[in-house]
Amino acid sequence: MDAPQRIVSIWYPDWPVTAAGFAADVPAAVMSANRVIARTDAAASDGVVVGQRRRRAQRRCPQIVLLDHDPDRDAREFEPVVRCVAELSPRLDVIEPGWISLRARGPSRYVGGDEALADRLVQLTSELSTSMDPPGVGIADGRFASSIAARLAARRGRPVLVPAGGSPTFCADLPIGWLQTLGECDPDLVELFGRLGLRRLGDLAALDAVDVLGRFGHPGVHAHRLASGMDTRPSSTTDPAPERRLDHVLDDPAAHSSAVVFIAKQLADELAGSLAADGRVCTRLVVVLESEHGERSERSWYRSAGMSAAAMVERVRWQLDAWVNLPRGSDQELTGGVVLVRLTPDEVRADDGSQLGLWGGQSEADRRAARTIARLTTLTSPDAVTVPVWRGGRLPADRYDWVPAAMVDLDRRTVTRTGSGPVGPWPGALPTPSPATVFADPLPAEVLDERGELVQVTGRGVVSAAPVSLRLLTGDDATGWRRGRPRPIIAWAGPWPVEERWWEPDRHRRLARFQMLTDDREGLLVVLERQRWWISARYD
Amino acid sequence: MELAADAAPLTAPLAALGDRVAPLALAGERTIPVDETFGDLFAEGGLVRGRTIACEGSAATSTALALVAPAVRSGAWLALIDLPTVGLDAASELGVPLERVVAIGTRPPGAVDDPGRWLDVVAAAADGFDVLLVRAPIGLSAGGVRKLSVRLRQRDVVTIVLGDPGSMACDGTLQTDAEEWSGLGDGHGHLRRRQVVVRASGRRLPGRRHCRFTVPVTSTAPSVPAVAAISA
Repeated sequence: MDAPQRIVSIWYPDWPVTAAGFAADVPAAVMSANRVIARTDAAASDGVVVGQRRRRAQRRCPQIVLLDHDPDRDAREFEPVVRCVAELSPRLDVIEPGWISLRARGPSRYVGGDEALADRLVQLTSELSTSMDPPGVGIADGRFASSIAARLAARRGRPVLVPAGGSPTFCADLPIGWLQTLGECDPDLVELFGRLGLRRLGDLAALDAVDVLGRFGHPGVHAHRLASGMDTRPSSTTDPAPERRLDHVLDDPAAHSSAVVFIAKQLADELAGSLAADGRVCTRLVVVLESEHGERSERSWYRSAGMSAAAMVERVRWQLDAWVNLPRGSDQELTGGVVLVRLTPDEVRADDGSQLGLWGGQSEADRRAARTIARLTTLTSPDAVTVPVWRGGRLPADRYDWVPAAMVDLDRRTVTRTGSGPVGPWPGALPTPSPATVFADPLPAEVLDERGELVQVTGRGVVSAAPVSLRLLTGDDATGWRRGRPRPIIAWAGPWPVEERWWEPDRHRRLARFQMLTDDREGLLVVLERQRWWISARYD
Repeated sequence: MELAADAAPLTAPLAALGDRVAPLALAGERTIPVDETFGDLFAEGGLVRGRTIACEGSAATSTALALVAPAVRSGAWLALIDLPTVGLDAASELGVPLERVVAIGTRPPGAVDDPGRWLDVVAAAADGFDVLLVRAPIGLSAGGVRKLSVRLRQRDVVTIVLGDPGSMACDGTLQTDAEEWSGLGDGHGHLRRRQVVVRASGRRLPGRRHCRFTVPVTSTAPSVPAVAAISA
């Protein structure tokens, strides 16, 4: 078996909370499925730990700010770090937001040794932003040992370098729980190792590989290999044939990310399907996107457990999202539609399968729903079956977006936002309760004052007269408008002005919002925009 | 007689035995839970699986969302069919987790209603989702509706028809009324609190049942149901 490659790992502790923009001295935590997945140092010093339930975290630290997990945000905020490291070595793998690995050999020679490389990386990343703590940098033989080194480095505050050939000794003294921490083994297997008295990785490595295979099967052999510091898959994993590379050239440049993701979905399905037919799974995927103006975005994504089609699509979406949100004027900024999507499986391995859990995870109802969504998609059209995605905004119609369900990984998704209303990142949003009916296309209307004249709002946000009645309009500009019956207004409030995107002439909006209650007890959200009245939502 | 004296102590065990071998599942056992505010509306204490209920009036959407929220929270999936206007902020404030909400449109944008397609889509959705919130199109054929009702009953799906049910066969009707709004003044304040009265009527909802619930504005965690218990 050939020796594992020398790998540098860069790891940001608690990336989700850093991505959410919290400094280390603010107690904050990111929650997923009611458990803490990341927290700031301030929260950690109050006793908030990863895996804790919401209630317990709040009890330990009452002033803590709790946020929902948003993988898209994590990926978007991570892009500057990836670009910064890519300056030094373009061939890097993003394992997940907050975690990069790259081959040490080239860059290490270039900057003059492993130590110099680690220092350079710390320096590069700390120049990026003063508010972020520098990441942990670890260099070792093999991805597993180097990932552990990076985590230890983040804890110790200085890079951890394992000398060449030193990975087996480095691993031997470490507790067996690292296998679970890095997601290489499932918790049950690790617990079983512990019960059998294998408390350190060295204990497991000391066993004969053949015995481990006989007793624990393939997952055990994988754990044994990692524990021995021999972090290579067996050499039967030949490089995938070049025809596995799938690309799609678009004749019409895709201006919307949903169109690109939809194409990526087709490619990913095809790729995952053809690999699965050979009993293999892709562990490293290179995604290339090209725009009509020749800009290019290329990223390599790594996942040791292998990627399903949905996981591939998710990575394309992260990459696209990060590309679209690049700051103005940066290198390779996206200025046109996307014309090329290419997925290349860079590394594949035999798929040794995975055992599904009996409890937790995906339920039968979830699987049934996923099957039905697929069936409904064929029955109607891909655009007709949609799921909500948070977008954010001040107007009810802007806050959520419906995206085709086929493009979203339906399990492990969080959509519901806590902290709606005026708190949170959208100052100026309407207070709760929110309207239960929101018109995507607002209904034209007229709001009249006592003398029967249209109510106006001045540029300074002053109403010309108190609104007294409201009537709906039907028809359009071409055929003329028909006026409905006027309905008396018994209570109203406003105007609450909004001016959005004044820096973009096309999408600039300036409007005044009113809440009105008609005499038949119907609460309405009425908007005045460009001298015209619209009913944009109903509280029903 | 001796026999009569012996028979009395046997009644209780026999009744218990009778319950155990009873072949049918009672409607009360096939319910999905609702918030206790709404418990009074239904004789069975919850929404009975397989039934179709119409929800009309000026607070229909909020009421329907509040009704199904506990079911979706406990893992059921909610399909919104032809209801692109449902406010998701309101849904999450009423306690519906949006992770398990799917919207299905049966008509292409700009086209008219297609009752045949609507029937197909609802029937297919009944296979996979536990709760359907639908808007009934105009011009449903009687035969199609009958077939669909059988399908919905077989699949144990709770269907709530928002607005005018048209020719859709419903087991009961909930008539909602936003009775009282507070918080909004004459040019000041904002809508804060609403009291809604729900009246139940229909074939399977006997008696004159009604309940009140309020939609409060407390900005605390909206994952808890935003309905306060005031029952009449």
